[in-house]
Amino acid sequence: MRRLRWLIVPLVLVPVAWLFLQGIGQDPRALGSQLVGRQMPSFTLRTIDGRTVSSESLRGRPVVLNFWASWCIPACVDEHPVLIDAARRVGGRAQFVGVLYQDRVDDALGFLQRYGETPYPHLIDQASRLAIDFGVTGPPETYFIDATGVVRAKQFGPLTADAMRAKLATIGVTDR
Amino acid sequence: MLPTLGHVAVVIGLGASLYAFVAFVIGARRSDPRLVESARRAVYATCALAAVASTAMVVSLLTHDFSVSYVARNNATTTPPFYSIISLWAALEGSILFWTLLATGYASLVLWRYRARHPVLMAWVGATLAAIGVFLFAVMTWPGNPFARMTPIPAEGNGPNALLQNHPFMGLHPPLLYLGYTGLAIPFAFGIAALVTRRTDEAWLGIVRRWTMVPWIFLTLGIIAGGWWSYEVLGWGGYWGWDPVENAALLPWLTATAFIHSSMVAERRGSLRIWSSVLVIATFVLTILGTFLTRSGVVASVHSFTASAIGPWFLGAILVALGVSLALLVWRLPDLAGGGRPAELVSRDSAFLFNNVLFLGLTFAVLFGTLLPLGIEAFGGGKISVGAPWFNRVNAPIFVALLFLMGVGPALPWGRASWATLRERFAIPLLVAVAALAVAFGLGMRMPAPLATLGLAVFVGGILLDELVSGARARARARSEAPPVAAWRLATRNRRRYGGYAVHCGVLVMAVAVAVSATLSSETTTTLRPGQSVDLRGYRLTYDRLAVGPLRDDPRVLETRAELRYTGTQQGSLATASRQYPNSVTPIATPAVRTSLGEDLYVTLLAADPASGSVTLHVLVNPLVVWIWIGGAVVALGAIFAIWPDRRLLPMAAPAGADRPRPAPRPGTATHPASLPAGPEPALDAAVGEAPPSGGARVDA
Repeated sequence: MRRLRWLIVPLVLVPVAWLFLQGIGQDPRALGSQLVGRQMPSFTLRTIDGRTVSSESLRGRPVVLNFWASWCIPACVDEHPVLIDAARRVGGRAQFVGVLYQDRVDDALGFLQRYGETPYPHLIDQASRLAIDFGVTGPPETYFIDATGVVRAKQFGPLTADAMRAKLATIGVTDR
Repeated sequence: MLPTLGHVAVVIGLGASLYAFVAFVIGARRSDPRLVESARRAVYATCALAAVASTAMVVSLLTHDFSVSYVARNNATTTPPFYSIISLWAALEGSILFWTLLATGYASLVLWRYRARHPVLMAWVGATLAAIGVFLFAVMTWPGNPFARMTPIPAEGNGPNALLQNHPFMGLHPPLLYLGYTGLAIPFAFGIAALVTRRTDEAWLGIVRRWTMVPWIFLTLGIIAGGWWSYEVLGWGGYWGWDPVENAALLPWLTATAFIHSSMVAERRGSLRIWSSVLVIATFVLTILGTFLTRSGVVASVHSFTASAIGPWFLGAILVALGVSLALLVWRLPDLAGGGRPAELVSRDSAFLFNNVLFLGLTFAVLFGTLLPLGIEAFGGGKISVGAPWFNRVNAPIFVALLFLMGVGPALPWGRASWATLRERFAIPLLVAVAALAVAFGLGMRMPAPLATLGLAVFVGGILLDELVSGARARARARSEAPPVAAWRLATRNRRRYGGYAVHCGVLVMAVAVAVSATLSSETTTTLRPGQSVDLRGYRLTYDRLAVGPLRDDPRVLETRAELRYTGTQQGSLATASRQYPNSVTPIATPAVRTSLGEDLYVTLLAADPASGSVTLHVLVNPLVVWIWIGGAVVALGAIFAIWPDRRLLPMAAPAGADRPRPAPRPGTATHPASLPAGPEPALDAAVGEAPPSGGARVDA
């Protein structure tokens, strides 16, 4: 009987540990996206080098749409090499597109100069219309859209190489 | 160079606290005073090292050294110096560094203060505090390194959190809160040491109560300053939202308050001693729990720092602290038994017991509401949030019951209350309360919640006032002193008792202010063009013009400001603004608050159209809000009054130490010699049976 009372220690500790371990590693602010499984919003926007990109022009190929900002340090800096690396390796099998999120074009150009130019274009999101359509809560956020224009996955926060590989797979792109 | 110095200080700090822990434990077991002495010095060294690291961080922030990742994330070249300095606690790693500085500071202070007393107890206290130091320095060495570097070095940093740089209160609220949090490690260490050494005597109780009161005061002020900050900055017109971080600060406050009360029973009756150490241990575990919940990203909160790698470390700390404490408690379980005769139902003894039951009920309710979303998600139930209405509904009745006890408890005698005593103590306050209710009702107050709170507050306030007045009159008669002099002397000779009354009065003021401001405020949302006006509860606000431009302090910040004039109970002009910070998605509201004793006029700019110059405003008239802050100040002052050391009373208060040499009276106290209490203490005190502060409280005075 006297020994039995020691059971109280694991009886308290184990549930506490279990409960909190469930919570660790999840970002409580990471909400699912209503857009997953639906057509992406349509848009026509100018890029920072003066071209025009529309949702129509992106049809037919999987798209990785990355909302970022030059002031988003360090998250956007952290994921920058992951994006460049993936875009190079995937090559023509998916179109990467950056979207400036509440940022000045000059600052964005400075960021690209400092941390590396990307092999893909960046859109200027006037008045954050596209960000609002996608329901972006803050940069970086990345949407993975399949060849038919349906949003398949969303990344909340910076992309890691693993996350990139897993989410590219949802839009039918295998990254070797 | 400087960041390297900071990092090296952290690593040496880890080594020093490890050494201190081992040396304290071995020193305590072998009763080796030299080893314990060296361990104590090592703790002093950890404090110095934490100070070096904190200074290195502050200088790095001031000089905008973006090679340090923390600086790049929380500072920009345009950040004003004041906000650069307070960015030390702007984010996770820096706040752990600041936390370590305060924790090692407290540890050094306590170990130094009691260096010559209670050698075995203090060695275990030291071991516990050193173990906490090991944890903090280890977190800064591995997962939460504040001096981690960043390459390539960015040309411009992210700047501090927009909310942090919006109001100077951020320089006050976090340090107060941290002084509270970190200080609660001291009673915890004494609780652990008491369980190890089986020592919970008068001296132990006195030290623990004092070192609970000090952080309790800081925690109280920190919580109130947080509410005030939220009110002045966030623009929603409220001050408390049951957010997990707010709850995290409230939980240890509740158990610490329960301890402060239970310790009085422990002192008086000799019972509840182990229970008291359970409360101080629970208090500390709740402080780490709160830190873990909000700093590891386990629950969603407006305050939470970004999810980080420290989560598992804090979880480990909780499990170790909880496991060790539980094991010690189970080991000492036989000591829990016994503890005198049961208390009479209507007596001060049972009032204290009810107090503890209610405070634990609050603790449980708040903890349950805070953890429920986590539990539901863990069982696959999806995301839910427990909102303010739930907390209000569950906790309001408990608060009301506590309010009642606050006045009734101290007026009840120890042991057993006779019917005559009850009538004598409570009849007049009850009549006054009924009269006050009738007046409030006559003035048009109809909502039950503020009416009930007001009636209860007048009742309780009447009891407390009656205690002071009749005590002072008795003394004035007995010693032919002027009544105010008698009241002051009575209070300063029974500091704990009358300080406690002052705290209770402050809480009453806050309770009425909260109940009235929460239920009787008026608000309207309106869109105005220049020249138009809006009326609300006797105020007329006229909108003059819109001004848009960069902020003078920090040109990267764009401010949209609406300028208005107002007439009514208060008159003047105000500007309410919203600021767009480059690193914030949403603009930060800068509400205009015009405070008077009766009510606040609170104007938030919701939207502005620069083209037409029209603005959308949220206007509130909040009654009595300023009394929440005033009541909070009374609470803190009352508590400071209660623990103020009073050397003059030493010989009287410590009869056990009567054989000790009496301290020479200080000049100026000659007219009140230390042996003052020649006559009987005031009749009331004798009737209530309140002993003068016992030797326990004075050992450390």
